[in-house]
Amino acid sequence: MIKTVDLKKTFTGRGQTVYAVDGVTANVEPGEVVVIIGPSGSGKSTFLRCLNGLETLTSGHIVIDGVDLADRKTDLNKVRREVGMVFQQFNLFPHKKVIENIVLAQMTVRKRDRAEAEEKARMLLEKVGIAEKEQEYPSRLSGGQQQRVAIARALAMDPKIMLFDEPTSSLDPEMVGEVLDVMKDLAREGMTMVVVTHEMGFAREVADRVLFMDQGKLVEEGTPEHFFTEPREERTKLFLKQVL
Amino acid sequence: MNSLSKQLWPWRILTVVILFLIAASLWAATKRIDYTWRWNRVPQYFAYNAETFEKIPFDGRVLIINRLGDTTSVELESESGEKLTLVVETPSLRVSEGEELFADDSIGSNSEWKAGPLTMGMLMTLWLSAVASFFGLIIGLVTGLCRVSKNPTLRSLSIFYVELIRGTPLLVQIFIFYFFLGTVLDIGRIVAGISALAIFAGAYVAEIIRAGIQSVPKGQTEAARSLGMSATQNMVHIVLPQALKRVLPPLAGQFISLIKDSSLVSVIAITDLTKSGREVITSTFATFEIWFTVALLYLLLTSVLSQLIAWVERRLAVSD
Ligand SMILES: Nc1ncnc2c1ncn2[C@@H]1O[C@H](COP(=O)(O)OP(=O)(O)OP(=O)(O)O)[C@@H](O)[C@H]1O
Ligand SMILES: [Mg+2]
Repeated sequence: MIKTVDLKKTFTGRGQTVYAVDGVTANVEPGEVVVIIGPSGSGKSTFLRCLNGLETLTSGHIVIDGVDLADRKTDLNKVRREVGMVFQQFNLFPHKKVIENIVLAQMTVRKRDRAEAEEKARMLLEKVGIAEKEQEYPSRLSGGQQQRVAIARALAMDPKIMLFDEPTSSLDPEMVGEVLDVMKDLAREGMTMVVVTHEMGFAREVADRVLFMDQGKLVEEGTPEHFFTEPREERTKLFLKQVL
Repeated sequence: MNSLSKQLWPWRILTVVILFLIAASLWAATKRIDYTWRWNRVPQYFAYNAETFEKIPFDGRVLIINRLGDTTSVELESESGEKLTLVVETPSLRVSEGEELFADDSIGSNSEWKAGPLTMGMLMTLWLSAVASFFGLIIGLVTGLCRVSKNPTLRSLSIFYVELIRGTPLLVQIFIFYFFLGTVLDIGRIVAGISALAIFAGAYVAEIIRAGIQSVPKGQTEAARSLGMSATQNMVHIVLPQALKRVLPPLAGQFISLIKDSSLVSVIAITDLTKSGREVITSTFATFEIWFTVALLYLLLTSVLSQLIAWVERRLAVSD
């Protein structure tokens, strides 16, 4: 479903070159839940953002559903509608009501009519458990509710893949659970997911595979059991000792 | 709240006292130069009662006078038997039945309220500012979008335009528009004046719009793009609505400035509020009164506009 080959992304600024993603080769199978962990600044977000073209890659290839993002002829907008993304900061559209947040892209991108888009939006709000908030503006919602709206908004495009970049990191602890529950449901339904998170419990429970990144490199990958019981690499051991 | 407003009391009084002292010293100053205030002359320049005399176009006589209350109809007959009926206001009637009249004798008059030069000037200022604001907004919007575009040519051109306009005085721009473009393109003074104002405002609006667009968090664009929206859709549905809401206060300031700056077009003989004021002074010599009145009228226009914008802002604040 997703395949990256020697993916590199560098940032240059003030005469310095940062190797944010430094030669990552990985793949994600359909229906698989892949969790990416790693220390801060290790390039997890950058890697994820490359996957839906929010960052242009410096070299290498990303093939999503048979389409190469590195190919100049690829229409990124087309790829992006198949790849939903949920951000740490929610990024809801503050000038639009909750329902409009979910309806907008359905109408402008998927060309659905309003009735159909609203029906879909209500169905998804029901699913993430905040049907009663559809007429509110995002600023009136708690962090957890906002993040669930953001998930519903991404799902409304019927994506084949969902990317999550630390979806619970800016939430108060008591709201983390409600968002993780929605994500677990999604995983159970067979959604292909790539999740950057510091929630080791989620990784252990839901992930099919865990990738550990450090300094832009994919250091180790394996099943959760492998990771949390017998990690191979020194760096992985060190990291897990710090977070667990 | 209550204790706070109590604390404010002495300050309020002090403010009033200072304002009073300023007014009093102004009054004393005019006393010293022996200026006679003639405020009673001012109202007629807002509106006046214009009297038009109805005249008999031929030699003849009055046949019948028919009083209809406020107005009176007068039937006239010429020496050749031609008949004509005129209507005048009853109190102004100055003929009686059977009276012989010569051509161009007046039989009475009709009066009508007309807008005076100050009102006309204010309307002109309002019209100039409104049209210039409208085009200024469009020019500014387009330029602002060019300013943040990925295309280097569009970017450079918009920077060039903005710097050119912001680096030269509006008065000089108005002269160039009127004398140079006005002659070359053969446009009238009003069009030249409005264009100069619109292009002047556009440059400032462009900078405001650019700042507004750049103040919308990057995450908004990323969210929109990650949903598959194109750059244009993102701009139209996500970035611009938020940007415009943020820039409403500085935009309002810009349009208020434009109302004031529009007074400069009086130099190319457009009869706006300022020019009307100057014309009125030449016939009344009530120099002080008229300039104070003109200032008040500008103040009226600008404060109505700022109230209007404040209302729009409150309407838009519902999503905060
Ligand atoms: N737009 C950018 N310009 C310059 N450098 C950047 C940019 N984005 C990321 N970087 C750099 O790339 C590196 C990887 O950043 P990234 O955000 O991917 O890390 P991360 O693993 O997501 O970290 P965190 O856990 O803190 O979110 C960092 O050194 C960061 O400073
Ligand atoms: Mg990150």
